[in-house]
Amino acid sequence: MDSKIDQALPTTRRGFLQLGLMGTATLALGSTVATLTGCATPLERDSTFKFLKPDDRALFAALIPQVLNKSFPGDLSDKSAMRRMLLSLDDLIYTLQYNNRHQMRMMFDALAMAPIRMIAGASWTDWEDMSPKQVNDFLIGWRDSSIQLKRMGYVSLTKLINISWYSQPESFASTGYPGPPVKIPTPVSPTLSSISSITTAEQS
Amino acid sequence: MAKKNFEEIRGITDPILEGISNGWITLNAGDYTQSATLEADVAIIGTGAGGGVTAEILAKAGLKVLLIEEGPLKSTNDFKMDEREAYKDLYQENAGRMSKDGAMSILQGRCVGGTTVINWTSSFRTPEQTLQYWSDEFKTEGVSKEEMAPWFDKMEKRLNIAPWAFPANENNAVLMRGADALDISWKAIPRNVAGCWNLGYCGTGCPTNAKQSMLVTTIPGAMNDGSQLLYSARAERLIIEDDKVTGIEITALDKSYRPTGIKLTVKAPTVVLSAGGINGPAMMLRSEAPDPKGLVGKRTFFHPTIFSFAEFEQEINPYYGAPQAIYSDHFQWETVDGPVGYKLEVPPLHPGLTSALLMGHGESHFDDIRKLPNMNGMISLLRDGFNEESIGGTIELASDGSAIIDYPFTDYLWEGVKRTHLTMAEIQFAAGAKSVKPAHVDAKFETSWEASKAAINELSYEACRALVGSAHVMGGMAMGEDLDRCVVNSQGKYHYLDNLYVIDGSIFPTSIGANPQLSIYGMACRLATGLAVKLTGKTPA
Repeated sequence: MDSKIDQALPTTRRGFLQLGLMGTATLALGSTVATLTGCATPLERDSTFKFLKPDDRALFAALIPQVLNKSFPGDLSDKSAMRRMLLSLDDLIYTLQYNNRHQMRMMFDALAMAPIRMIAGASWTDWEDMSPKQVNDFLIGWRDSSIQLKRMGYVSLTKLINISWYSQPESFASTGYPGPPVKIPTPVSPTLSSISSITTAEQS
Repeated sequence: MAKKNFEEIRGITDPILEGISNGWITLNAGDYTQSATLEADVAIIGTGAGGGVTAEILAKAGLKVLLIEEGPLKSTNDFKMDEREAYKDLYQENAGRMSKDGAMSILQGRCVGGTTVINWTSSFRTPEQTLQYWSDEFKTEGVSKEEMAPWFDKMEKRLNIAPWAFPANENNAVLMRGADALDISWKAIPRNVAGCWNLGYCGTGCPTNAKQSMLVTTIPGAMNDGSQLLYSARAERLIIEDDKVTGIEITALDKSYRPTGIKLTVKAPTVVLSAGGINGPAMMLRSEAPDPKGLVGKRTFFHPTIFSFAEFEQEINPYYGAPQAIYSDHFQWETVDGPVGYKLEVPPLHPGLTSALLMGHGESHFDDIRKLPNMNGMISLLRDGFNEESIGGTIELASDGSAIIDYPFTDYLWEGVKRTHLTMAEIQFAAGAKSVKPAHVDAKFETSWEASKAAINELSYEACRALVGSAHVMGGMAMGEDLDRCVVNSQGKYHYLDNLYVIDGSIFPTSIGANPQLSIYGMACRLATGLAVKLTGKTPA
């Protein structure tokens, strides 16, 4: 966990600004302002989460039921399905390489701050308090935008949520997927540990 | 409700765990608590199609080989057909790798065995037209159809490659039936499998050892001949002095694929780069390797892949059965360098990946994904790199040194995308589809070919509206004798360094025009055999 972008926003605006569109610039500038003014919440110490800060989780908590519709929460309770999703998304985004993680951080920080969120086409209301219609309007606005960056945001957010959910076994019944066969591993008697192998290699 | 094709799989051995218990030296870089130096005759960076084949040939020639892999060591017992685990453990960026503008999603392996562990087993020889184009345009030598044939023969035998002889699953049968109805030619796909169960889970790591990936063939072969394997080890940069690589700086990675803070060094008189078309060029750029014409990381190709979905009355169960069994090259070679040609195939559809491919959200997306048991998917793979309007992408470096893939989509390619949406919809309706939807954020399922055609003609073709994927990474360090266009010679040696060889898909001067694994195997067999002769003075058996 050595990378700055997991916890705080980097000062570079590359990526978001280079497309040169007004809306793009506003988003990028906004997310920088959000960090410089300390408006973006930090990741808590000792958090189970490696990337998603409380504001990011509020964003996803608002988006998830709207994106997944009647498939959610599948065979799980609302609470455990949401927890499963947030941890799964956290894991997924944490595994992305720098540029993609950086783009996510910029987008999340921009969407966390009310004035910038409004310019970006979402409601001034906090994500926790938005109505399903407000969330859906935001998604449709980004999907149909002429600004490439917003469309990329839409595609990224929905793709992350969809793939994280529909690969959970508790969602299978909702799609009619019978699931994979059960794999029963064949044990192999353990012998050399990797540490003893290292010793062997260094001596050789 | 559809039923499972198999309830359980048991009694399958794990050749990697058995090898380790029999004394193979496998080193997890993440276990090191202090820096160390490892030495070998040949260090190979990357363990996929290029590195795996090279390792076995060099080890059999008596050379001490060290294989270096960024990804983890996962093997048969780990392969549980679970999308979640597979994407996290076996794919670059949790299967979320994408191009800089988000327009293209890229599926690429990141584990011991590389993409061969997770590919769908389609094995085609490099088309003659492609080899001819390389010779004409890039001055490649020794890679004509006739000169390559013995190397393909050898690898086909080694990896048990033969056209799939069993009935195609329903998902593939749609392509076959639709093509027949429209008088479009098709053939059975050659696959690298031995005793295939026809399960459908090639993409999450073969749970039965049937797929003849590098993990169960050449890597065990190399290990049995005394090679060593260092995994969770990212080759950060080459240490270059004058015209030679004198070492490789390695970053050790933990279980979350983040640096542990420990650096290792590998020293070998000969270094082979087999890290693929994204990470290989990125490492060369980080190393500031000599590149007088600035060609490294340019002309990176992907076979941009376009999707179309169809709903049928009958069950298709597109998640079960050999994922790719039928292909058509009917639209591939109408011209070599005119409007973009393409190959038609089908993808396996498991729910996680399919939900992303369907694009969208809310009720309409849920309605779409619920069609899964009755759904057919079709793909077209665009043959990029054969026209001046198709110059491919560029590998750039992020501020932490990782790769950024800039692949601008040109009008030339968008024209091809639209054309393939039309072709695929027509084939799906001809095969009896109830409704068809091209993978485009504005498209919906249409119930006739006429309606579908009209709807496709109204779609806007631009980034993040039409879905573009890729599972094939090629180019970025072109092979050939034309120094204005190539950085690797026809023997695989980097033009500007004496002891660096590049043996993987990155040396292809264009895309292949077919799933590239056998192209890489055959070329690697040729180049590694040449290298073995050079290093030992003897011709390998």
